[in-house]
Amino acid sequence: MEHNAVKQILSCRDVSKTFYGDGKCTEVIRHIDFDVTENEFVVLFGPGQCGKTTLIKMLAGLEECEEGSISLENEKITGPRPDLGVVYQTTALFPWCTVRGNIEFGPKVRNKDKKETRKRADHFIDLVGLKGFEDSYPKALSGGMRQRVGIARAYCNDPRVLLMDEPFGHLDAQTRYMMEEALENIWQKEKRTVIFVTNNIEEAIYLADRIILLTNRPASIKQEFKIELPRPRDYVSPEFLKLREIITQAMDATV
Amino acid sequence: MKKAVQLEKIGWVVFDLLLLLLGWIFLVTCTSAKDTFPDPVSVFSMLFTSFVKPIGTYTMWGHIMWSLYRVMVGFTLASVTGIIVGIAMGSSKIAEAIIKPIFEFLRPIPPIAWIPLAILWFGIDEASKYFIIWLGAFINVTLNSYVGASRTDETLIGAARMLGAGKRKVFTRIILPASMPQIFAGLQVAMSSCWMAVLVAEMVRSNEGVGWIIIRGTDTGNTAQIIVGMITIGVIGFILTTAMSWIERKVCSWNTTL
Amino acid sequence: MMENKVEVSHLTKKFGDLLVLDDLSFNVKNGEFLTIVGPTGCGKTTFLNSLTKLYDITSGEILVNGEPVNLKKHNIAYIFQEYSTMPWLKVEENIRFGLEIKKKSEEEIKRSVDWVIKMVGLEEYRDYYPRQLSASMLQRVVIARAFATEPELLLMDEPYGQLDLELRFKLEDELIKLWKKTNTTVIFITHNIEEAVYLGENIMVLTNKPTRVKTIIKNPLPWPRNVSDPEFIELRNKITDLIKWW
Repeated sequence: MEHNAVKQILSCRDVSKTFYGDGKCTEVIRHIDFDVTENEFVVLFGPGQCGKTTLIKMLAGLEECEEGSISLENEKITGPRPDLGVVYQTTALFPWCTVRGNIEFGPKVRNKDKKETRKRADHFIDLVGLKGFEDSYPKALSGGMRQRVGIARAYCNDPRVLLMDEPFGHLDAQTRYMMEEALENIWQKEKRTVIFVTNNIEEAIYLADRIILLTNRPASIKQEFKIELPRPRDYVSPEFLKLREIITQAMDATV
Repeated sequence: MKKAVQLEKIGWVVFDLLLLLLGWIFLVTCTSAKDTFPDPVSVFSMLFTSFVKPIGTYTMWGHIMWSLYRVMVGFTLASVTGIIVGIAMGSSKIAEAIIKPIFEFLRPIPPIAWIPLAILWFGIDEASKYFIIWLGAFINVTLNSYVGASRTDETLIGAARMLGAGKRKVFTRIILPASMPQIFAGLQVAMSSCWMAVLVAEMVRSNEGVGWIIIRGTDTGNTAQIIVGMITIGVIGFILTTAMSWIERKVCSWNTTL
Repeated sequence: MMENKVEVSHLTKKFGDLLVLDDLSFNVKNGEFLTIVGPTGCGKTTFLNSLTKLYDITSGEILVNGEPVNLKKHNIAYIFQEYSTMPWLKVEENIRFGLEIKKKSEEEIKRSVDWVIKMVGLEEYRDYYPRQLSASMLQRVVIARAFATEPELLLMDEPYGQLDLELRFKLEDELIKLWKKTNTTVIFITHNIEEAVYLGENIMVLTNKPTRVKTIIKNPLPWPRNVSDPEFIELRNKITDLIKWW
């Protein structure tokens, strides 16, 4: 745990969302309310299609809140803003940009100093372990490497909060372990506030300071778990497996 | 291994050409076609001499240059106008609502149907030819650019906005490159249709160009000249489309489907 | 009856000069549940495609019931991660599909379909179309379709890769139940080591490319297995150490 004073950075106040269309209305999110402190790693964990992605989109300002509000340091989020970085499940890399082009995209469109940008990009390329691949196009990379680019791209724009939407959802079990270890490593070196969405319980416990368990649609907060196991965590330690069972059972009732 | 496959392909092309030549020789020596159909020797000797000995005012080089020049003018105009209109349609709902219906109406009318109007409006000189060439290509380029722009992955646009890109940057750095493969598909088809349109335009009314060679051949009953014109058209058309795909591979080297 | 369902000897596959499968030899007993696990990027797809004769193998031999594998003669079912249901057929029609192709009698079809639908708990969903079902339901349809044809060999290629853990365990338990009831021989390929240990009677560990059989480990744990059981964890760790590359 951090020993410096805990600072509230992001707050989600009583947020609800319903989609209207085709004469139907689908309630996706119901009265979600939580706070995130600076440099905390929060995992939003819930079953399959529970509305997690909609929630992340709202946090990112890409989707409007219908009720309630989301604010970053007491400032309401009303649209996309570069101090919120997003890592996507599909990676959403720009296929016409090289690895470097993708990572430098943010600072470039914001007209940041070129030399400074280059230095930052080099730093993060090194940090995510992509040295030597700067000039490759995304199509030439493996799934794990693409997601490394996605993480570096988000970091390079220097966001206050990183939003990660099931970033390892498409990867096989082993590559996933590798990426979880890599992300933990990166995060330890470059602490940021992270909100991470997943439906994989192992991933949630491995990475989280706190797990917010969501119910099935409409998503609401079912329960919260503070994870206080020392890092890096062991997937097969008795404490890990115990937690896994407890949380899985807590979720079971909601499916 | 790859080299062997390529060699085999080339081998088949050579085989095809030989087969064609043999069929041709058979046709003009053993059947009654010889009265209306020239033999290979006279066609090829005419083809080769045409590069040094003028047909009409120009040598073959001159005619090819005339046709290519017209194509380039029409094609360039069509590319610029088509890409602008198409992308505007694809990225703006209002532009789409205004332009698309007009387009749907004009699209099924083939460029040839415009020739009488083109001559009335632009006269019988170069301008009407450019118009005809432009028209056919413009439709293809616009349509493809429109599809490319309107199908840009929403997630990519979202990702760019999250990284701080404004409207203009989203357009130049996401929508434009994302539409490139589709635009190139349009340009590819447009190039072929330009090449066809120039021949039609030249056959209707001109004093030079590859299309004129054929018409001239018909007027003077010179069948060898007709065939020479046709072969030239085929070869140039082939070179143009190959060049286009080469450029596409260079520009869109990131595209996984290439 | 033969003791071995499948006998693979010196299976080798090259693509041009590239060696992908390097001299694999192993047997699968009648009614055995074999899981195969290997590092990411080991030639598992090539391996499966060779086994089902989609690829011509470079050298070696694959025998089913002592005869060279023949898809027309041997009833081999194949389940993979994509839910390969026919979208224009209802659940029941999807399950009947395989039987109708095999020209079974109507009576036989009805009996098999009723039995298998009950086994996977899809009774209420007979008249649903695939698009109305969740991912785990779809995978149940696919498994029901495979078991309905009473295959002598069932090949599964990471069928539960994208499912929530809870559902995965549920489907795995169902699979074990079906396997025990039908005595089908199953070869189950996965990247997930826990899954391999949870399901397999024997666990075959593959090496990285060019793929060889590293070892075959017996899994003596009785069902139902418990993932927190120290013996389970020991086995899981042992296999992890054998293939860990990350």
